[in-house]
Amino acid sequence: MILHYKCPSCGSDMSFDSETGDLSCPSCGRHEKIENYQEELQTSSANDVETKEYHCENCGAILLTTADTTATNCSFCGAGVVIADRLSGQLAPAKVIPFTISKEEAIDAFKKWCRKGLLTPRGFMNADRIKSITGMYVPFWLFDLNSKVQVSAECTKVRTYTQGDYIYTETKYYDAFRDINLDYVKIPVDASEKMNDELMDRLEPYPYDQLKDFKTPYLAGFLAEKYNYSDDELLPRAKDKISSYIESYISSTFAGYHSVFYKNKQIDTKNVNSNYVLLPVWMVSYDYNHSEHTFAMNGQTGKVVGKPPISMGKVAAWFSGIAAGTFFALKCVSFMLGGGFW
Amino acid sequence: MVEKWLQNQSLFCCFFVFLLLLPFGTVAKGQSFDRNQYIYDEAQLLTAKEKANLQSQASQLGKKRNTAFIVVTVNGTDGKTLKRYVEDFYDKYAPGYDQPHGNTAILAIDMQKRNVYLAGFQKAEKYLDDSRLDQIREKITPDLSDGNYFQAFSAFLNTSDEYMNYKPGVNPENILFKWWFQLAAALVVAGVVVGLMAYRSGGRVTVNAGTYLNHDQSRVLSHYDNYIRTIVTKVKKPSNNSSSGGGISSGGHSHSGSGGKF
Repeated sequence: MILHYKCPSCGSDMSFDSETGDLSCPSCGRHEKIENYQEELQTSSANDVETKEYHCENCGAILLTTADTTATNCSFCGAGVVIADRLSGQLAPAKVIPFTISKEEAIDAFKKWCRKGLLTPRGFMNADRIKSITGMYVPFWLFDLNSKVQVSAECTKVRTYTQGDYIYTETKYYDAFRDINLDYVKIPVDASEKMNDELMDRLEPYPYDQLKDFKTPYLAGFLAEKYNYSDDELLPRAKDKISSYIESYISSTFAGYHSVFYKNKQIDTKNVNSNYVLLPVWMVSYDYNHSEHTFAMNGQTGKVVGKPPISMGKVAAWFSGIAAGTFFALKCVSFMLGGGFW
Repeated sequence: MVEKWLQNQSLFCCFFVFLLLLPFGTVAKGQSFDRNQYIYDEAQLLTAKEKANLQSQASQLGKKRNTAFIVVTVNGTDGKTLKRYVEDFYDKYAPGYDQPHGNTAILAIDMQKRNVYLAGFQKAEKYLDDSRLDQIREKITPDLSDGNYFQAFSAFLNTSDEYMNYKPGVNPENILFKWWFQLAAALVVAGVVVGLMAYRSGGRVTVNAGTYLNHDQSRVLSHYDNYIRTIVTKVKKPSNNSSSGGGISSGGHSHSGSGGKF
C-alpha cells in the first residue's frame, strides 16, 4: 500500500517541513500537526513485499524502488510517497528523529564545513560541485545493554625510599575483586547494508530528546529504507561498541594501584531492550577530480563526516611550518635553560 | 769587639737582605714562567708537531673563553697526589689567561700511577664545575687508556670550550641542547600533528564512555582489596668512584676538579 499526502485545502503534494516539524503544503502553506495524524498502518502480511510493483497514487507512474525502499519521491511527478507495507508489522519503527536541517541549510552547512578543512585542496573548498544531496532516514537499532562484570586481579603499590647507602623498593601486593553493574542505553547501530558502518558511527551522537513516536508523514519528501539486519544480528556489534567503555570503567575502579594484573575477568552483556528507529542523515555526493566523494551529515546536529581529498601541497606546508616552529621553540627553550642558541 | 759586632751585623744584614730578596726570587721565577705556553709535556708523550698543534688550539680557544687551557703530563709526582700536584702547579706558576692566578683549566696525567686529574680555577671553576669535569674526564679516559694522547688532549680542549658555552649549573650533555634532537623532535611533532589533522579531517568520534552510560544504574556493587604481602628489594646507591672533586690549594685558591685512573 502506498501512502501519499494530499493537501486537504488545495490538493497539492504535502511534505515534511524540517523547520516546523509539521506536514506542510508548499502551494497554500497549510500545516498539519503530525502528532495528531491518524496512522493508517495495517498489519499486512509482508509476503511478496519485495517483488511487488508500486504505482504512484498521484500520477500512476511506476515507482522506481529497491527492495529496501520505504519512502521515496515519484521520479515522474515528484510527489513524496511512503510504502506502508514495508513499515508495518515486524518492520514498523518504534521511534523516529525528524530532520531539523532543511536541504538548503544542509548545503550551506556542508559548504561551510568544506571551507574549514585545513588540508583540503583549494578547488574542493568552494564546494561548488555538489552532485546530489539526499535526505534519508537510515534504519538503526537502539540497544539498551546491561553488563555484569566480575573481575579479580592482583594489584601492586610500589614505594621507593632511600635509607643509608641503599635504595629500597617496597612492593605491596593486594588481592582485589570488583563486582560491577553497567547499564548502557540507546546505543545506536545502523541496520542498513548500504551504509558504511564507520561513517555512521562517527555521526553520533544523536539528540535523543528529539525522538518521536513513529508516524509515516515524517517520511514524506525524504528517502527511507527498512532494516537489513535484525537486532539479534547486530547485537555483537553493539557489544563491540561498548567493550572499550567497559574496559575503561573497570580500570577506573582500580585507580591508585601501580600495576593491575587481571586474573579473571567475566563480562556478561545482555540485551535488555532494542528499538527499531529511523535517524535523519543527509547524504552528500560530491565530484572532485573525476572521482566521487560521499559525505554524511547528521540531520539534527549538522555534523559532517566523510573523507575529503587531501592536498599534498597543504600537507607539506603545514608539516614544514610546524616543524620549523617547533625547532625554533626548542631552540628558545634551550636558550632559556642556558644552553645557548646554536 | 766593635769589629766583631760589625761583622755580626753585616752577616745579619746579608742574611736579612737575602730574606728580603727571597720572595723576589720566587716571583722572578714566576715571571720567567711563560704564561702563553699551555702544553707541558714532561712525560714526552707528544711529537713536536702535535705539541705545536695543541698549543695553537689552546691559545685560540683560550682567547675565545678568556681562559688558559693547560695540559700537563708527568712521570711521577714526588709522592704527592696528582690533585695536590696540580694545586701546587697553580700556586707556584700562577697561570691564567690575562693575569697571574687567573682563569685556568688544567688537565694533568701522571704516567707512573696512570692517574688523570682535571681542575678549573676562577672562571673555569664556575663554568667547568666538578660534574662537567667528570663528564670531560669520562669522555677522554678511553683515549688516554689506548695511548691516543693527542686525541684525548684535543678533546679536552674542545669539550671544555664547548661546555663553557653553557650557563653554569646546567648539564651541557642535556639532550635538549643537541641540535639533532631538536630537529628530530620538531619533525616528529610536525608529523604527528599533520597526521592527526588528516585523520580528523573525515570527522572525529565525539562520543565517549559516558555518552551512553546510565549513571544511575551503573556502579560497583561490591569490592574488596585484601593485602597479601610485601616484598622489599634494595640496591646500593650508585657511588662516584672518581677519587676527588675540587678543593682549595695550599695557596688558598679554590678550584673544581675531577680525578680518576686511565
